Amino acid sequence: MREIGLPRRGLLGAATLLAAPALVRTAHAADQCVVGTWGGDYARLLRENIDDPILKPAGTEVVQDVGDESPRVSKMYAQKKLPRGTMDIACVGALNGYRVTEGELVEELDEKKVPNLKHVQSDLRMPAFVPHIYSAQVLVYNPDTVKQPPSTMSDLLDPKWQGKIGMVATTGSWILQAASLHESGTTTDFDKAKALMSKISANGLRLYPETDTLAPAFKSGEIEVGMIWLARSFMWRNAGFPVAGRFPTEGSILYVSGMVLPKNAPDKEAAYRYMNALLEPSAQQGFAAHMGYLPTVDNAPLSGAVGEQLAFPQPRPKLVAPDYPVLSKALPELNDWWLKNIQRG
Amino acid sequence: MARTERAERVALLGPASALMVLMLVAPLALLFRDSLNRYDATELMIAAVTPANYLRFLADPFYRDVLVTTIRVSVIVTAVCLLLGLPMAWRLARTVSRWKSALVVLMVLPLFVGSTTRTAGWMILFARGGMLDRLTGLNLMYAEPAVIAGIVAINLPFTVLTLQSVFEGIDPRLEEAAASMGAAPSRAFWRVVFPLAIPGITIAAVLCFILCMNAFATPLLLGGPRFHMMAPLLFWAFSSDNNWPFAAAIAFILMATTLLLTGFANHVIPRRYRG
Repeated sequence: MREIGLPRRGLLGAATLLAAPALVRTAHAADQCVVGTWGGDYARLLRENIDDPILKPAGTEVVQDVGDESPRVSKMYAQKKLPRGTMDIACVGALNGYRVTEGELVEELDEKKVPNLKHVQSDLRMPAFVPHIYSAQVLVYNPDTVKQPPSTMSDLLDPKWQGKIGMVATTGSWILQAASLHESGTTTDFDKAKALMSKISANGLRLYPETDTLAPAFKSGEIEVGMIWLARSFMWRNAGFPVAGRFPTEGSILYVSGMVLPKNAPDKEAAYRYMNALLEPSAQQGFAAHMGYLPTVDNAPLSGAVGEQLAFPQPRPKLVAPDYPVLSKALPELNDWWLKNIQRG
Repeated sequence: MARTERAERVALLGPASALMVLMLVAPLALLFRDSLNRYDATELMIAAVTPANYLRFLADPFYRDVLVTTIRVSVIVTAVCLLLGLPMAWRLARTVSRWKSALVVLMVLPLFVGSTTRTAGWMILFARGGMLDRLTGLNLMYAEPAVIAGIVAINLPFTVLTLQSVFEGIDPRLEEAAASMGAAPSRAFWRVVFPLAIPGITIAAVLCFILCMNAFATPLLLGGPRFHMMAPLLFWAFSSDNNWPFAAAIAFILMATTLLLTGFANHVIPRRYRG
């Protein structure tokens, strides 16, 4: 058999050609920030308010790794032992922010590298989590049909709302915290919370599979009252749905969404730049204007129609952050209880 | 010579088998290992060898009910698909017309749209104030009949296409022979064609049953939060709290139940009718 011969120069050329994309990618990666984020409006607003106007002119290319929060957190755990992970930044809710901090998956933040942290409201700060946006859980109602809206969670027990109360099934643990706040002024009295929720459920509570399925139910007249985030009621109202929000007199639970920096992030400097950019007043105001989430910093005042719509009523309502350590431990049991008692057919 | 044949067999079967092991068996083995681990809210998963996740499912009447509901819906959907699909497939197989290929395309057309998109269409139809509500006053949204209708719409083309190829494989001259001996068309079908088609009908039924046991989008969107089937439950275990060990155990219980019932269905069919 004749040996097939290739000229040495040709081989070297072919090898260079094959390796070229890898070399280019390595050089490129120095200015790349991979952000694990939710898709939809959130990803679009990150692009429009942070990636394109702030990071891109500074020479940092942002790549979005779009997905849900649970797979993203799982990915962080799966990559825990790798020296180099795949995300520079992961977007998570504050509860998961607490959990991945406890699991030693993320870097404690250095204020020198994220100077805008000094503007973050003190009650929202956590050592390894940058709070990006937040919203409060409110009672919602149809302003066209409801003349006397509920002012406290126990108002939902009134027989006049029978079969007209709507909630989102996936927000069970948040609603239980609100019920606890109503019953005993803390967010963790879950036994009393369950008792109140069982009574509300018995008053013809309607459950919806996803957050955005609640708005059409208001429009069709299927429900007249419910409970959801203020930001959602803002978005729905602006989209023409008959929904208005009211802060419960017992106080509102806060939902905080933000970002963490995995310990094995490939480019931590780019991640710090990104975190600082997301706390810029212009970026914060952009999210408020389109999604109705409130700025987490003290130097991003809201003005005009957005400011009016999102302004807190006077006297200022009581806003309560969850007790993350207690909630984290209780969550599996709360979810199980909600599934078996409230979501039972 | 024998050695050459063996080498040929290995060469033909080897790559596909290796790929199968790599892509299917290996992930399943990993998932099974996960199902024996212990869940922890902070660590997510702690290495262990415990049947706790399986016992949690089997000991709890709520989870057992979910399994029973899944089996019930799957049996009903399979029965409806066979009832509707048999005459359609039979007619399609025996059609001698230039429109036949157009009819087959019409049958396949719904498969061009993703099941979630199709389910969104059903949601508009079933919703309060939707078409069905306005025309008949019926509000089927978030109820078992809506789920059954939605899954039937998805599974029916698979059932019809499988049955059509089965009927096309049966020689029409057998029916002509039966007719020549005085059998009416219905008698010829039930006494001659149907017994010959039983192995193929079993395959169509099994396909339909398996698809239904694993249905996700339709029960989630049309059944609503108070209607529970196994695949959405599995997703709940994973998404609500990242409980991989319990979700993995649910996946294996679902798989084992489906395999057992499929094997049982094959077993109850008389041996002479098996393929």
